[in-house]
Amino acid sequence: MIWLLLTVPVTLAVGVWLAATFDRLAPALWGARAGGPVAALRDGALLLRRQTVRTEAPDDLNRRLAPVVYLALAAIGLSVVPVTHAAPIESPVGIVIWGSCEALTIIAVFLHGWSPNAPFPLIGAYRYAAIALPVMLPSMFVLIAAALPAESLSVTAIVESQREVWNVVRQPLGLALFLLVGLTLTQRGPFDFADGADIAGGTSAEDSGAGRALWQLARLAMLTAFSAMAAALFLGGPLGPGLPGPVWLWLKTAAIMALTVLLGHGIARTTPGRMLTLLWIVALPVSFLHLAVSGGLALW
Amino acid sequence: MVNVVVIALILFAVWTGWRVFRVDSMVRASFSLMLSFIAVGGVGVVLSMPYIGVATVFMMAVEMMAMAIFMVAFMMNPAGLNPMMMVHQHKFSVGAGVLAWLGLSTAVLSAELPSAPVTSEQRVVFDLGIELLGPSMLIFETAGVTLLATMVGAVILSSREGRYGHADHGSRPPGLAEGGDPAGRVPDEGGGHHHHHHGGH
Repeated sequence: MIWLLLTVPVTLAVGVWLAATFDRLAPALWGARAGGPVAALRDGALLLRRQTVRTEAPDDLNRRLAPVVYLALAAIGLSVVPVTHAAPIESPVGIVIWGSCEALTIIAVFLHGWSPNAPFPLIGAYRYAAIALPVMLPSMFVLIAAALPAESLSVTAIVESQREVWNVVRQPLGLALFLLVGLTLTQRGPFDFADGADIAGGTSAEDSGAGRALWQLARLAMLTAFSAMAAALFLGGPLGPGLPGPVWLWLKTAAIMALTVLLGHGIARTTPGRMLTLLWIVALPVSFLHLAVSGGLALW
Repeated sequence: MVNVVVIALILFAVWTGWRVFRVDSMVRASFSLMLSFIAVGGVGVVLSMPYIGVATVFMMAVEMMAMAIFMVAFMMNPAGLNPMMMVHQHKFSVGAGVLAWLGLSTAVLSAELPSAPVTSEQRVVFDLGIELLGPSMLIFETAGVTLLATMVGAVILSSREGRYGHADHGSRPPGLAEGGDPAGRVPDEGGGHHHHHHGGH
């Protein structure tokens, strides 16, 4: 029981380092200089040594809370993913707990941009809320569809239902749609409307020092939690021959993480208005179709 | 142990509910209300209602995020950072609040509450499904359609583009000084009753 709980901070710590390293390797894809495995640690240490700058009349409580809440949501989301035959937090409604973490992430990011009382973070906050709220709809359909073959909302039962065939084979659209959700939750690439470079870093434009380091850490922690959840929902989580369960889960998590980082670096970001149209006109009907097909398959 | 957790969660729910009326911004008020609901959801989880409890958390998170945006938009409180008073009609509200509290307390105290402890093995999600799609279907469907109509109405009210052209066509922001030039954007041609000509128009 205790060792199950201990896997959460360990997975988060290793996952954050791995994600940060993937991010620094990605520029090699288009011939730019890539950073090594130590680069991420050095960058983090450098941030911690910088002084903290305060904006004029910020909402201090929310400013401090936002990164902490983001990190906590990543930890809670990760702890409903089964490591072996059980999850650190075993719940009959594990998938709903994950859904709650997704929804609360929007609020953590919004408050992170709202609290400094500065224009760029505020624009990032509103832009992100406008895009992330409609992303929640495909997310819920994908989660419900993944729960259908298992006839249960428990993530452990969903993993167990993939003993014969992985969900990615039964529901390939599900993984594709869930990756959009992951890009939104971690503010990456085409869905980085919160912290984009086009608005000078958005919600973290006024961040500095330890606060900035914690926010970036929380983003990478959320990527780790999302990757582990995607691995459990679509790649059978800890199921696999030969190796022990946790090793399989970590390998699959790393694979999803690499794919998410690749998509984040490889796909351009469109304007918020166009993305909003795409989400409502394309992603929502596609996810509804996905749910209908998955439901039909589960009954058949 | 369960009692202590439930009482702590309820006290937190009441405190954050009270904060809704004491803070000075629609954003803070919305998220205080959300914390209050999350604490109530926690009570549900502790009392062996895991689905309802956790579902309350994600529904309230999405709902209060949308509410914060709409409230800031409709309250003309840019960005929600300008301090504003969250209560009005003080005497009337105090009277209504005390009356409602007395009425609800009387109802709770005088009601015959059922005593049917739920075991943790109970298939609550299954039972909820039967309830939702069985005897209570009409109520839930009515509530659902009403909520949907409200949401569509709110979107239409806040949308700039409409069937008869832009919602702010010809609208004119108040002047910076009495009778002076409007603040911000200059209205379109044929708009407001004054007509200023500017170079480059």
